[in-house]
Amino acid sequence: MTKIGLEIHCQLTKLESKLFCSCKADYRSFETNRNICPVCIGLPGSLPLLNKKAVEKAAMIAMALGCKTPQKIAFFRKNYFYPDLPKNFQITQYNAFGPTSIGHDGKVPIEDKEIRIRRIQLEEDPGRLVYEGTSEKTQLTLVDYNRAGTPLVEIVTEPDFETPKQVRLFLNVLADLVENLGVSDPSLEGALRVDGNISIDKGNRVEIKNVGSFRDIEKALHFEITRQQSLAERGIPIPAETRHWDEARKITVSARSKEEEQDYRYFLEADIPWVLIESSVIDRLKKNMPESISSKKERYIKKYGIPLQVAEVLSSDKFYSDLFEKAYNEKNAKEIANIITTDLKGFVDTKEQREQLKLTPKHLSDLADSIMNNIITRNSGKIALQEIVKTGKPLSEIISSLDLGHVDDESSLSKVIDDVFSEEQKAVSEAKSNSDTINYLVGKVMQKTKGKANPALTLDIIKKKLDSQ
Amino acid sequence: MVKREEIVHAANLIKIDLEDHEKYIEQVEKILNYFDILDKASPESESFVIQEMPLDKLRDDKYVPFNEKLITQLKNYKETFVKAPKMI
Amino acid sequence: MNLGITATQYLEQVKNGSLTVEEFIAKTMERIKKVEGSIHAYISLNDDAISQAKQIDKKLKAKEKVGSCLGMPISIKDNICAKGMKTTCASKMLENFVAPYDATVVSNLKSQDAIITGKTNLDEFAMGISTEFSYFGPSRNPWNADYVPGGSSGGSAVSVSALECIASLGSDTGGSVRNPASFCSVVGLKPTYGLVSRYGLISYANSIEQVGPIARTVEDTAFILNIISGIDTHDNTTIDKGKTDYTKDLDAGIDGKRIGIISEMIGEGVDKQVASATSKAISKLQSLGAKCSEISLDSVKYSVATYYTIAATEAGSNLARYDNIRYGFDFDVEGYEFNAYISKARKNFGPEVTRRMILGAFVPSAGYVGKYFLKALKVRSKIKSEIEQAFKKFDLLFAPTVPVLPFKIGEKIDDPLSLYLLDINTIVANLSGIPAISIPYEIAQGLPIGMQLFANSMQEKTLLQAAHALEKTTNLPGVPI
Repeated sequence: MTKIGLEIHCQLTKLESKLFCSCKADYRSFETNRNICPVCIGLPGSLPLLNKKAVEKAAMIAMALGCKTPQKIAFFRKNYFYPDLPKNFQITQYNAFGPTSIGHDGKVPIEDKEIRIRRIQLEEDPGRLVYEGTSEKTQLTLVDYNRAGTPLVEIVTEPDFETPKQVRLFLNVLADLVENLGVSDPSLEGALRVDGNISIDKGNRVEIKNVGSFRDIEKALHFEITRQQSLAERGIPIPAETRHWDEARKITVSARSKEEEQDYRYFLEADIPWVLIESSVIDRLKKNMPESISSKKERYIKKYGIPLQVAEVLSSDKFYSDLFEKAYNEKNAKEIANIITTDLKGFVDTKEQREQLKLTPKHLSDLADSIMNNIITRNSGKIALQEIVKTGKPLSEIISSLDLGHVDDESSLSKVIDDVFSEEQKAVSEAKSNSDTINYLVGKVMQKTKGKANPALTLDIIKKKLDSQ
Repeated sequence: MVKREEIVHAANLIKIDLEDHEKYIEQVEKILNYFDILDKASPESESFVIQEMPLDKLRDDKYVPFNEKLITQLKNYKETFVKAPKMI
Repeated sequence: MNLGITATQYLEQVKNGSLTVEEFIAKTMERIKKVEGSIHAYISLNDDAISQAKQIDKKLKAKEKVGSCLGMPISIKDNICAKGMKTTCASKMLENFVAPYDATVVSNLKSQDAIITGKTNLDEFAMGISTEFSYFGPSRNPWNADYVPGGSSGGSAVSVSALECIASLGSDTGGSVRNPASFCSVVGLKPTYGLVSRYGLISYANSIEQVGPIARTVEDTAFILNIISGIDTHDNTTIDKGKTDYTKDLDAGIDGKRIGIISEMIGEGVDKQVASATSKAISKLQSLGAKCSEISLDSVKYSVATYYTIAATEAGSNLARYDNIRYGFDFDVEGYEFNAYISKARKNFGPEVTRRMILGAFVPSAGYVGKYFLKALKVRSKIKSEIEQAFKKFDLLFAPTVPVLPFKIGEKIDDPLSLYLLDINTIVANLSGIPAISIPYEIAQGLPIGMQLFANSMQEKTLLQAAHALEKTTNLPGVPI
């Protein structure tokens, strides 16, 4: 029986400032040590000033994960020495005097399971260590404090996972959730980090740290299960320890058990008063919280008749669901959802492409309406879509400039069909007995008309011609 | 009575090298023995002194850059990084 | 020119033109040069003091707006940041540290056009009771240079007492403003916790300490308190004082006020001169119309252990940042491994700080945290509620500031515990957060004795009125230096 628990660190990248000072929360665009101040670098005499929005956003995460939020929260010091920690203590949360962290006792459903959330806490990120020089002798440890003080939400689960696959699913749900809430952008490097702990058959717990990505956590867990199982088979006891994921060799390696010797001597951070979170505040946050992914999915299916698969893809992608929300009306919702998930998502998927997208909600609704009203075929719609994405021009302009209008009149269609008949004589004789070949002929007509032929009318005329032969 | 090793362990936790600081162990032991007077105190409740603050009085989430030359006023390496001793 | 004038007198004389700021500042800096060799109040001086004085005179002459201090010379304890000046905490660990920002209390004074004369000496990182633990050598009592000036704000008290400035800012964690004020025959106030911003005060025990003014009179002390107190957006532990003016109604007197004499602080262990001065003071209070009676505060006997347990824990954490990596003294990291480097660098803490670091790691450590640290927190709560109960029966509490006369330099330095126990009269105010003030009362055998009053939280006005009333009954000689 495998038991896996997770410790996830999520940066609140959507905040403007750090957790305890007014330096920028998203440090990624700064040159080394240019995003620091006396507070985040722990200069003598500096004092932490808690960020109000950070507490609100952390409370939203707690609520979205089904957690309870206490009326008062407190902060603690975790004391240890490390060069990336400017004060040589981290300001974090700790449930010493009852529940005092921002959330506890929640649950997240994935597939057929429910993963229990033990607690959620707000804390500050340390700085980053960089190593210069390659050989042992010339190697310097250099520190960049730009990241020090960035707001983090730590999410600790119960060891409810049974397989690495469940872990992966959960992490995807979590990433979509924090993006949907508008608290974090999980695509940013380092925004979402995971440590795991795993035990098999009621054996000792092993912690896995230093895993770079979600893909890697699944690999690391697989490796670890195999490793532990092989030890167990040979009757060798599995030591409780911390292991690091070796990215290059794709294995876990035992870290020095110095970690066990740590005594963090937690005590209350006296520079930060206990924060009162009144129920009126919780109500306001709940009211203004963005609609959850599962709620959107339900709505798409029930209200607009959008198929399950499409609804799933659309609801879990914040960028596209936002676009959908601005574009749809009762009638064309299903068509727009289809256009987005089938066509658009395929060729506009990188962050850069999305940010520079020239397509507007109006484009989408115009396109959907044009298809539904038979002004252009679905095939033409695909072409038009590509052009919109490239140029941003209004749909009407594109339809006329690319001549995408339906070929609707019988006589011109008839001429095209005659051309096709003369080119495809073999297919024509086959078509009299085989209905699939009729579709082939329709396809050829579509080709010739660059997708503009009215498919229903085309089929009709072909059938008539075949019959009359 | 606390053991000598435990005082040395405390010095390690706080990263103070006790080599030729022997006399401190004796002095610390004496002070800790005095602290045992706390055993005689019997508080009525388990409550603690705390300060409170409502959420809306906290700092607004605004980016305000500090002096970008701050790193030059600290110990620095090429005016960009801070140098740290080797990590093993 | 009389350098011994009060702040009130200084302001009057500058306003009526009988004194220019430049004259006074120049004379002050001269005085400092003259006496520093024998008393060592300062660690560093402000070289721009005189030119700043000239600027203020210019503004005054041009009838431009000038802040309420009118160029008054004020010294700042060297654990409070002043931008562009070295802020050392009297420690090698901050030997080269130049503060890149002003503490709020300093910027408040500067915006009122006070002139900083310099940074004063202290026990290293404010840990001590005699200013003998300074990396730069001890300060000396201006009443007798063989004796300690008290601590940890010894330099501040000396500078005010020896007429090297008109007032000073010190910091009080276990008595560090009141104790040296008492030993140097000046006034020292520890405000209610939260009344004065700690932004820029280099942390030692952050749930306990406060910046406090030291001056020659209660009125001067109130004047400085007005400027440095109030809510600060840089410090979330500050409290709103509203529009309180501490200098107003200072003459209200204490007729009818109920004063509790703390019995644990006047009995055993008190020097006989201090005991006799205390009785005289109590009679004086009664003659002013106060109703004095004894009160027993049981928790006083646990207060020293409680204080040092909590303060050491906070100190251990607050001083962890001094690893000499981002700032400190010259000592290159190259060739060293991390733990070895910082352990070696931190050997440069002085003996008292070293002791407290070790204690501070020990008392909250796994296995001992319940017995020491958590227990101390609970006893602290008990002390607080006992004090609250006392203020239901009394308006003020009273005791001598220190149980003993100033002692000789070097006399107690090898017995740390004996020094801790001298805090026994002052510590309850720090642990419970209430304000307390020491005023000079008597000189015995050439050595100063101070008396202490306590008031309830945020009741500084009541406190200052009582101190002022008692002060008016004294007639003390001028400082001999």
